[in-house]
Amino acid sequence: MDERLFINLIPGNTFLDKLQGKTKVRIFLICIVALIATWDMRVILPFAVLSVVGLVSLKPNWKKMWGVFAFVIAMNLFNLFLLYIITPDYGLNVCGASTVLFKFTDFYVVTAETLWYFLVRFTKLMGSFIVSLTFIQCITPSEMAAGLNSIGVPYKICTIFSLAFRYIPDITKDFNNIKISMQARGMELDPKKTSLWERLKQNVIILVPLIITSFDRVGNIANAMDLRGYGKGKTRTYYSEHEETSNDKKMKYFYTFLLIVTIAVIVLRIVMPGEFEVWTPWI
Amino acid sequence: MKFNTKTIVGIAIGAALFGVLMVYGGIRVTTNTSLTSAMVVTVVVGALFGPIPAALAAGVGNCIADLIGGWGFWFDWSIGNLVLGLFVGLLPVYGAKINEGVFTVKHAVIYSVLCILGNIIGFGLVTPVLTTVFYSSELTITWIQAWSAIVSNATVLIVVGVPVLFALAKRNARGTNLTKE
Repeated sequence: MDERLFINLIPGNTFLDKLQGKTKVRIFLICIVALIATWDMRVILPFAVLSVVGLVSLKPNWKKMWGVFAFVIAMNLFNLFLLYIITPDYGLNVCGASTVLFKFTDFYVVTAETLWYFLVRFTKLMGSFIVSLTFIQCITPSEMAAGLNSIGVPYKICTIFSLAFRYIPDITKDFNNIKISMQARGMELDPKKTSLWERLKQNVIILVPLIITSFDRVGNIANAMDLRGYGKGKTRTYYSEHEETSNDKKMKYFYTFLLIVTIAVIVLRIVMPGEFEVWTPWI
Repeated sequence: MKFNTKTIVGIAIGAALFGVLMVYGGIRVTTNTSLTSAMVVTVVVGALFGPIPAALAAGVGNCIADLIGGWGFWFDWSIGNLVLGLFVGLLPVYGAKINEGVFTVKHAVIYSVLCILGNIIGFGLVTPVLTTVFYSSELTITWIQAWSAIVSNATVLIVVGVPVLFALAKRNARGTNLTKE
């Protein structure tokens, strides 16, 4: 479980790490909105490539990363498989044609448009996954709060985000501690010795103390924050938000450009919606 | 809406638990929906802090789950969860004061009805509408997902939620038989 939760508490030293929280949050939000807003491969592909470049530039620990990638790719492929089972000729709805490549039965046909749609969908979801991953890898919880605050989110909501992210590694730690102490009391969690149903029941047994200890801690954390004067002022400044560097200024032009592109894509989609959702090169 | 520090911390911890449990603590039913233990967190936040904190914990929690889960962002579902959280968290409003140990069978019935209602409004109405607005496609699949979400969430909320609420009320009821002299 813990390999998959990479929350950084100390900023790293690559290009993206050294940017301001403000810049990171804005670039992330623009990329995510762009990836959500469109089904046009001409827009999705550049953003997906950009996110891959971002991830590579962070020099992440690839050994840790492969497991996550395998899981996400498998899940997305499984989703596509389900989609295919329900509507084999999905491409007809979204691309507006069906060029049959070959048939399993009369219902289960493979069309070029469906395959194209699946490719677009896969790129889109992988793109937004890699953007999220890059974002999590390069940001610390308080930089995230500072960034959200800079785009006008009330600072108490920002605190909710940063505190929640800060708390996730603690959940992992608590979960493992509870699991170990349950095992010490004789609970069998070895997958070879217990059935799946038994293990599910045991996980529920772990959850109850996890939830109770977490909420018992609310009072302590709140008192600590109150003692440090949290929530007294109308606004808040962030210690983690350093001054604008020259790279931040350069990135400002870059994300302004991305913002204009994204707005243009959304406006175009509303003003001149195409007859079909997905742009297909051969139609 | 003014939150004190305790409520903010409660929402944050609720959101973190919701996010983690949504990714790891569930049995997948269809794509995007699962029989998830995350719903229990909404119940606890609702019981301790009320409707708006529960809604925020569920909404923020779903965003966090999207961020660490790797299935892409589905804000329509986050908002669906937010609406559901609002309904689930109504507990103190109709008199089920868990903090003071008050939770009776009558409250359990109201709670169950509100859970089903909240699910139908959240995932049967708000999510499909927002899906059309944000993504403007895939409505057939959203419907299938919405119905399975309604059924699985309502199951978890009622089958697990009611015993949890009784247990929480019992846990908090220790001081209630004292009278002030």
